[in-house]
Amino acid sequence: MRVSNILKPFKTVGKFLVEKPLTFHFPPESPVFTERFRGRHIYHPELCIECKLCGIVCPNNAIEFLLEKDKKGLVHFRTQVDYAKCCFCGLCEDICPSKALEMTNFPFLVAMDKKELYYDWKKLSENPSLTLPSIKEKKGLIPWARARSFWIVNFFTGCCFIEAIPWVASSFDMERFGLLAIASPRHSDVLLIGGYVTSKTLKRIIRIYSQMPNPKFVLVLGNCPMTGGTYWDSYNTIKELDKYIPVDLWIAGCPPRVENIGYAIFLAIEAVQHGYTGKKEYINTEHGKYSLLHLIPKISRDYNIIEFGPQHPASGNFNMLLKLEGEYVVEATPNIGYLHRGFEKLMEYRTWYQNIMLVQRVCVLDGASYELAYVGAVEKIAGLEVPKRAKYLRIIQAELSRIQSHLLNLGLLAAATGFDTVTRITWGGRDKVLYLLEYMTRGRIYQIYNIPGGVRYDIPLDFKDKAFEILKYLERRLKDYDDLLFNNQVFIDRTKGVGKLPKEIAIELDVTGPNMRASGVAFDVRKNVSYEAYGDVDFKVQVLHEGDAYARTLCRRREIKESIHIIEQVLDKLPGGPIAEKKMSKGGYFSFMSSIPAGESIHCVESARGELCFHIVSTGESKPYRVKIRGPTFDTILVALPKLLKSVQVADVPVVYWSLDNCPADHDR
Amino acid sequence: MRMQSLLKYLIEYFNAEVYTGKDKNYMFAKVDRSSYVAVADFLFKKGFKRLLTVSAIDWVLRNVFEIYFIVYNHAMNVYIKVSTEIPRDNPEILSLSSIWENALMHEREVWELFGIKFIGNTMLEPLFLEDWKGPPPFRKDFNWREYVAKEFGLKYAPVPKIVYSKSEKK
Repeated sequence: MRVSNILKPFKTVGKFLVEKPLTFHFPPESPVFTERFRGRHIYHPELCIECKLCGIVCPNNAIEFLLEKDKKGLVHFRTQVDYAKCCFCGLCEDICPSKALEMTNFPFLVAMDKKELYYDWKKLSENPSLTLPSIKEKKGLIPWARARSFWIVNFFTGCCFIEAIPWVASSFDMERFGLLAIASPRHSDVLLIGGYVTSKTLKRIIRIYSQMPNPKFVLVLGNCPMTGGTYWDSYNTIKELDKYIPVDLWIAGCPPRVENIGYAIFLAIEAVQHGYTGKKEYINTEHGKYSLLHLIPKISRDYNIIEFGPQHPASGNFNMLLKLEGEYVVEATPNIGYLHRGFEKLMEYRTWYQNIMLVQRVCVLDGASYELAYVGAVEKIAGLEVPKRAKYLRIIQAELSRIQSHLLNLGLLAAATGFDTVTRITWGGRDKVLYLLEYMTRGRIYQIYNIPGGVRYDIPLDFKDKAFEILKYLERRLKDYDDLLFNNQVFIDRTKGVGKLPKEIAIELDVTGPNMRASGVAFDVRKNVSYEAYGDVDFKVQVLHEGDAYARTLCRRREIKESIHIIEQVLDKLPGGPIAEKKMSKGGYFSFMSSIPAGESIHCVESARGELCFHIVSTGESKPYRVKIRGPTFDTILVALPKLLKSVQVADVPVVYWSLDNCPADHDR
Repeated sequence: MRMQSLLKYLIEYFNAEVYTGKDKNYMFAKVDRSSYVAVADFLFKKGFKRLLTVSAIDWVLRNVFEIYFIVYNHAMNVYIKVSTEIPRDNPEILSLSSIWENALMHEREVWELFGIKFIGNTMLEPLFLEDWKGPPPFRKDFNWREYVAKEFGLKYAPVPKIVYSKSEKK
């Protein structure tokens, strides 16, 4: 134990106290808001040539056409958008030949009745504007107190929760509005549904809802619980949540932007301040189909059985049965499927082009890698030569995505060891990376940046300057993270020697990524099977040998530094030229409805969590015949984690779990 | 062992159809059902220590399932996909779990989603789904869009929906 390891964390926290605050003002506007963001559409009827291509390409059936006669008696097809279905992928904007349908950066779409989210063509052609409600007016002490102390159950049901995270972080800081995430449903007022709800999750939601005291409010993020959203044809997600429990506020977006959630919070505060106490309570389990059996645990003298998740502050939507002997875990059995949507088959129903908006949704924490793996596999079958500039741009996107994923994991690990302050600081830093990603790709979480053959947009002219500025800021911050975590005696004691994964076991059980490298295996797909332009870039594979939770976290921390280094190199070397190639080697051009030659391919990339492979089979049609996604967490969590947890203390379970960096959406698919 | 001699061995001893694409890191081999486990065992002994996945393809028109596994060899730096075909009625195949431990979990997934039985796998129980009573969902003859339309009353429109204004309806 070193004295400096005790003093340094205090010193760094002190430094943050005297520095400029990290929190953005909300309202009026926040600086993490670029003009390039894909938000609500604007429709120019005078430009529209009524080709209906936007409706054909839309993967969610969100675009409809109104047939009407104008004053001269001419028949028109007018474009209308249902924002309860739209996923803001922008394929409609890309396809529009006359620029009649464009996307603005306006993200504020909140309604108490989801029918209000249907925008007819007249509403769609108006310029978007927003007036925030005033929350200063008070009507009585009880409504005021109620409105200023929303406690939210932390049940991370789906992907949209990723945009609730900045509200926990220092960047948006929800506690200024009295909001608090709380683990117990019996002490909560607000149930926040974060995205799609599978039938397995719905049972738990109904249980939690019935346990909450009155008055209770249900807020829904994203389009999937409204109409099915992106997963409208999945067999395992439910389509309309208000069939089962009442919903007070629908927040549209895919995922809804942080500011949109803030706007919803304002509306909720205003309504409750004026005496709103929620919709009438009802529960519909469809004759017991969605009711959860009350299991009585088998109690034995020697063992205790407890559940870890899915409604647990440190689990994500993941469940594990822990068999305990005293304080020690004897056996851990993962129980998954809370986020299973059946991606592999969903992709069979969509065209090669439409699938570019589906793949990154497999894992919301690092979507860029999934895009790369998918387009890489398609390019191999179609014989598309990617231009050099596009390859370089793809690296920037992938590395930025890796940095934000690793920062998120640092925060989670800090939370697992009891350092909530560090969680807020690292997640605040992550917002800067997301800003950069959005400025580059027009998408904040789901970038939908890659198409087979290249990328969709070029970078803005001042991107380089902004990128260098933010990367410098991050590099400076990394030293603070070192002092707060890695040179912190408490963190060292909590993580060193915990959850040791030997080198041989890591290979045998197919644990990849930073988890494998922290056990002494120098395997990195970027280096071993060089894809895109990683061969032109100089970087080191970070290898550590201890194989414990500390080494795994430190490996990620070092990879952040390495990724910054890669991006700087790529920005310096960035060649000119086209950003996409549409000509296929066997003839024909790749377009939004085109078919590609028959064949099969495997393409592996290094995602933030490890090796990610897509195996794609084409029979020469416009849709894939079979897609197999080999995610990095499937083996790590389902096979390796139970082994690592043996004879670990219960308090260390979250540490081991997050040091493996799980993404439940990835192994469930 | 060099890559070329490995491929030669596969072709000569296991009668495998081998296909290598442009990308030298990825190989595809097709073997007979009887030598499926023997090939797996052979590859494991030749340094393919890491099993990436076991999965299946439903060739419904030919009435067969293609079962395959992907393995990686660190020394050769190569991925190889080995596949075999089994009839679609009452599908059964030997499990790879005695060679690679993580095959248990991958085969469990295939068992649930495709309804293929792996002989020797001790873990064949539901993984993702709870109380699922329908057919194995990833088979080609189970149409999700029809199922969703029936189960949730959601209509699928293959062409964009056209709504009529009030005056047009009259």
